[in-house]
Amino acid sequence: MKFLSNKKLWVLCVLFVLVISAVLLMPYEKTVDFNTEVKPIINKKCISCHGGVKKQGGFSFLFEKEALAATKSGKPAIIPGNPEDSEMIKRLLTKDPELRMPYKHTALSEEEIDIFTRWVKQGAKWGDHWAYLPVKEVEIPDVDEDWGRNNIDKFILAKLETEKLKPSAEADRPTLLRRLSLDLIGTVPSESLIKQYFKNKDADKAYEILVDSLLASPRFGEKWASMWLDVARYADTKGYESDGNRNIWQYRDWVIRAFNKDKPYNEFITEQIAGDFFVNPTDDQYIATAFNRNTMTNDEGGTNNEEFRVSAVMDRVNTTWEGLLSTTFACVQCHSHPYDPFKDDEYYKFMAYFNNSRDEDLASEYPLLRQYNDSLQNKLTSLTTWLKQNVSEGKSKEIHKFLKTGQPSINSTTTDKLVNAVIGNNNIALFFRNNAVARIEKVDLSQVDQLIYRYNSGKTGGKMQLRLDQSAGPVIAEWNVPATKGYQNLPVDFKTQTGVHDVYLSYYNPTATNKDEVVVTFDWFHFGQQFPGKNKPNYAENKQTFWALLNANVKTIPVMVENPSNRLRKTYVFERGAWTSHGKEVQPGVPKTLAYAMPANAPKNRMGLAMWLTDVKNPLLSRTMANRLWEQLFGTGIVETLEDMGTQGMNPTHKELLDHLSWELMHDYKWSVKKMIKEMVMSATYRQDSRMTDQVKEKDPFNKFYARGPRMRLSAEQLRDQHLAISGMLSNKMYGAGVKPWQPEGIWSSPYNGDQWNNSTGEDQYRRAIYTYWKRTSPYPSMIAFDGAMRVACAPRRIRTNTPLQALVTLNDGVYIDLAKHFALKMQKEGGKEILKQIAAGYQQMLYKPIPAQKLKIFDDLYRKALADYKVNPAKVKELMGDTVNKSPETAALVIVANAMLNLDEVVTKN
Amino acid sequence: MTRDELNAYRLVKEANEIQAAAYTRRHFLKESAMGLGALAMGALFGSCNFGGTKGNNPVLYDAAHPLLPKSPPFLGKAKSVIYLHMAGAPSQLELFDFKPELMKMNGQDCPPSLLAGKKFAFITGVPKMLGPQANFAQHGQSRAWVSDNMPHFSTMTDDVSFLKAVSTDQFNHAPAQLLMHTGSARLGRPSIGSWVTYGLGTENQNLPGFVVLTSGGSFPDAGKSIWGSGFLPSVYQGVQCRSEGDPVLFIKDPHGMSRDLRKASIDAINASNLEEYATYNDPEIQSRVAQYEMAYRMQISAPEVMNINNEPQYIHDMYGTQPGKACFANNVLLARKLVEKGVRFVQLFDWGWDAHGDGPANSLNIGLKNKCRSTDKPITALLLDLKQRGMLEDTLVVWGGEFGRTPMMENRNGIQNPYNGRDHHTEAFTMWMAGGGIKKGYTHGETDEIGYSAVSGKVDAFDIQATILNQLGFDHEQFTFPFQGRPFRLTDVAGKVIRDIVA
Repeated sequence: MKFLSNKKLWVLCVLFVLVISAVLLMPYEKTVDFNTEVKPIINKKCISCHGGVKKQGGFSFLFEKEALAATKSGKPAIIPGNPEDSEMIKRLLTKDPELRMPYKHTALSEEEIDIFTRWVKQGAKWGDHWAYLPVKEVEIPDVDEDWGRNNIDKFILAKLETEKLKPSAEADRPTLLRRLSLDLIGTVPSESLIKQYFKNKDADKAYEILVDSLLASPRFGEKWASMWLDVARYADTKGYESDGNRNIWQYRDWVIRAFNKDKPYNEFITEQIAGDFFVNPTDDQYIATAFNRNTMTNDEGGTNNEEFRVSAVMDRVNTTWEGLLSTTFACVQCHSHPYDPFKDDEYYKFMAYFNNSRDEDLASEYPLLRQYNDSLQNKLTSLTTWLKQNVSEGKSKEIHKFLKTGQPSINSTTTDKLVNAVIGNNNIALFFRNNAVARIEKVDLSQVDQLIYRYNSGKTGGKMQLRLDQSAGPVIAEWNVPATKGYQNLPVDFKTQTGVHDVYLSYYNPTATNKDEVVVTFDWFHFGQQFPGKNKPNYAENKQTFWALLNANVKTIPVMVENPSNRLRKTYVFERGAWTSHGKEVQPGVPKTLAYAMPANAPKNRMGLAMWLTDVKNPLLSRTMANRLWEQLFGTGIVETLEDMGTQGMNPTHKELLDHLSWELMHDYKWSVKKMIKEMVMSATYRQDSRMTDQVKEKDPFNKFYARGPRMRLSAEQLRDQHLAISGMLSNKMYGAGVKPWQPEGIWSSPYNGDQWNNSTGEDQYRRAIYTYWKRTSPYPSMIAFDGAMRVACAPRRIRTNTPLQALVTLNDGVYIDLAKHFALKMQKEGGKEILKQIAAGYQQMLYKPIPAQKLKIFDDLYRKALADYKVNPAKVKELMGDTVNKSPETAALVIVANAMLNLDEVVTKN
Repeated sequence: MTRDELNAYRLVKEANEIQAAAYTRRHFLKESAMGLGALAMGALFGSCNFGGTKGNNPVLYDAAHPLLPKSPPFLGKAKSVIYLHMAGAPSQLELFDFKPELMKMNGQDCPPSLLAGKKFAFITGVPKMLGPQANFAQHGQSRAWVSDNMPHFSTMTDDVSFLKAVSTDQFNHAPAQLLMHTGSARLGRPSIGSWVTYGLGTENQNLPGFVVLTSGGSFPDAGKSIWGSGFLPSVYQGVQCRSEGDPVLFIKDPHGMSRDLRKASIDAINASNLEEYATYNDPEIQSRVAQYEMAYRMQISAPEVMNINNEPQYIHDMYGTQPGKACFANNVLLARKLVEKGVRFVQLFDWGWDAHGDGPANSLNIGLKNKCRSTDKPITALLLDLKQRGMLEDTLVVWGGEFGRTPMMENRNGIQNPYNGRDHHTEAFTMWMAGGGIKKGYTHGETDEIGYSAVSGKVDAFDIQATILNQLGFDHEQFTFPFQGRPFRLTDVAGKVIRDIVA
């Protein structure tokens, strides 16, 4: 009896509790949040079969419309408000293994099923992924504790509180000096700055003064440009097989200057994407567009120019998304995005923005910006003035553009219907033998009366003709072709025609006897108008200036120039991503999900694209940049996957903070990168000590909650630049063509490319890493060892590694041995006669603080051992010291110590 | 990282740590005179910057011990691979694919049917057909055809499986080589050696896991990216070892620094770094200590392994080595030594097989014969040597180029080339594999009577990659790495194991 009643009592109790909780909970059934609760389950458990690539059973979870649409069975799988009748929910619950979802995988947990059920019951409301929604102003969190210096700290502290962690104390002053310098200028600050910093007893003031001084230093741009050059896949060679030289270093200098000038990020992006669309673009605006000429060019014999042109265009699309917008877009080439709301044809619509630039994967890299030296520039200015006074504005602009860019012109490689002619190696230029004919397709002859062509011919006595519509068509021009010395530009006048025609160019030379000999090579054809203003004063003189400028051999850089309106390319969807199989034609446009950020007045060209990118409504540009800047300073992004903020990227550790920073970047700082960086480094979060307690090591090994300061190995660039500075060798020379510091023999060799790595001389041996010549197929070895990007495609993030090959570089690379020698001499100079003082001086020099006693002993011991060795081994001293003047065993022993000290963890690490 | 992922990650990490600790103890007690070893590699955490734990890939990256030996998902037949790539594409029609019919067509205009709709690298207009420029005979019990360009190798036909109908869709060197080694014709993907090292680690912690050796006077056309680690951590990239200069870049102590001093100096660095660790408690410091120790061990082991002078004379005679020079024979002998020491993947590139006929060195009658002369004997020696050491069983040897050559004589820019040569050809060419669980004395695939197209047994780069991975114990469809929002694999969305040649 007693037993029974006990049991009954229990049952009653349990029932009571259940009823009460049901009553309590019912009215408050928690609203399900699609993004944080439903979408993660979909992405993890459902989308690989019901998403962008596969739509099993005709059901897809990718877009709201698809998810609610009828499936193969004819009925929709989700009936909003009615989980009981929703096939999707039934399929989660059924016991039949053939029907139960996820098919052939473990069933969902009760909690997951509950989320789905409540979500359907509440109306199956869709939500967009956070990163695709506009950035909103975020409320600064209320935090109890009195810690922190600015708003960043409040966000960080709020999270630390929920994680039951405490922030660390501020790092000591020497550590902060070093941390700031490496972060802001990527190397060691000037002596005077160091002195000034320590002299100021007000640590807070000294810190801020230091921040401002470093931000104002020309070294700042050299540091921060590195990050951008990875995104821009900048290199000094063209890539692919022979990987020949490319003169595009002015772009690198442009980036350095932009960071130094603190060019607002929206302008920075606009000029790079669409600099050529400004009215009368400046040279700088053109040079900025070289951002998109950092794509590779394939000069290998037999390659199809169009194939690699398309490949470059796609690279521009992928770089824009990955580098500027933290979105992986490349998969949309072949199919709708498997996880994110982008449809297949949206890739090609976006590609249409980039598909009308003049570049065609030519070895010559046309179009090139022609940069005139001072005297030629004066000529151009006087010509421009004359044109403005004497001919129409349109005509004047046209001539100016032609002299600056050589455009519009038709590359000889695009000719066809060849007779006794060939496109050399399929991709170099048009070669004529005797009796040759080539077609220039669809030329608008209605407004033009002159052909300027660039050619090279060793033969005299040749005659050329221009014929209309067919090789035997009416002749519109006939002329004698002079022999040339190298390439030359020549005009041929003809009568203006009506409409668009195929133009046939033919050549005949009675003196040419070898039918196989190539007699003329063509570079390009420009159909235009004869030099205007025939009756105006000084006509002859200005015409001569025009030709002098056109024929001048000038400095050039590849840039973007758009096709003229009468020669626009069409853009098609490529079926399954294959460039040769054209689907429907598409017009420029951005993905629908993000179209809300497109300004109403934006034209459908790259300038319009830039307007969309930089519009404050664009949710991705500011978030991506704020995240990237954070990553540079803290080692990991708030969204760790810098390349992907989409649903498959890592979740943000501090989403509100990221939005707060993004909002500030756009609105409060008006896109000033320096101001953004300043806020980050002024925070208490950044200034924390990086010591790890055991508790933190256990709870937050990866420092995702920032209970301590950043601590990570230096980047390849920081390492070189710091070591150069410590040893007193760093050259402050800025800008110019890439330099070639010492590297071992035999690293450089590409087929069909005779270029040599000739070591630079003088101070060029000791330039900052950013100026090192970057060969794509064979980058500078120590840069690659320390995780430098290959610069083949956009590299939005470097993954840090820790390998023995890195140790070998800093231990044995001739560059680092050379620096150790210089460092040893410096230690002697600053430390005086005693070895202990020399070592201490060296340590102080590297870390701005005294060497701990145990370490001093370690290096003193090393010194003594080395000294004993060298005293009995004078030959070794000679070998080690090479052509250094000071060849004492003491110095040699100190070089060994210097080399070891430059390898210390605290020296190769930013702390 | 979700909680589940983090848990899974921690579990694997823990397993790795235990393995690491055990390994380190064993290893250091046995051979380290350094003393610091056991201290250095304790239970370590990896670095924090790795987003690679998504997806269902069992292979995890441990930043502190990225090269620890790991077991493949299933038991593979091969433990290591020696891949001999003849860069420039050797002519199958002068080596293995005997076509008497082509001989009959020699000098005739190429039939239009072979040209319609085709793209060639250099051929323009109507080229002439070119008969085999070598004499063929059948060899061994397998009766395989081999030309007199390869008199030594012709004795080995009963040990190899020929793939007579390999095809590709890339007719230029760089992209075709990339496709063959990285599964993509564009730059940026990890090479097969990187994948293998990522999946298996290396058995010898004193040597790199993936070694590359080049000969022929130039790098392969695709450059270093062909052994690059792509999106895998850079520790998995191929380490180029050289038979001239430092065998591994920066492996030699600086001039005037004795080995003793180097050791004392690394000891000092590590002692100081352990002081630093006591203050900062950052596992990365421990990892750095371990890496410096490994660097030192590499400094000792690599030059020794890379030195072929200690090999007995009969071995030198067998391979036809030329000590002190950078040549293919030396590289082949090195490859054997490296595999013997536990290196996973040895990749040889021999440049100069591009027999277009535009010059004597690029001709079928002079250049190709020279290339054969410099490789025939060493390759044969490699197979025999591996066999006599009982290593051929678990060493997979692969031979091939990036594409084949046309049955037509090349007429560059429409003009007959001055020497006999052939253009790049994508539709059919020959490769072979031996050892590592591959059938002996077998031929898979067949071409038509002029060697233009595959008739049966057509395979491509992905199939070859799938087969290599299979022999090592990987299902190529499951072996992935998360990148750009999706799991990537070497074979992308293609590839079938060539079951026919698996013993």
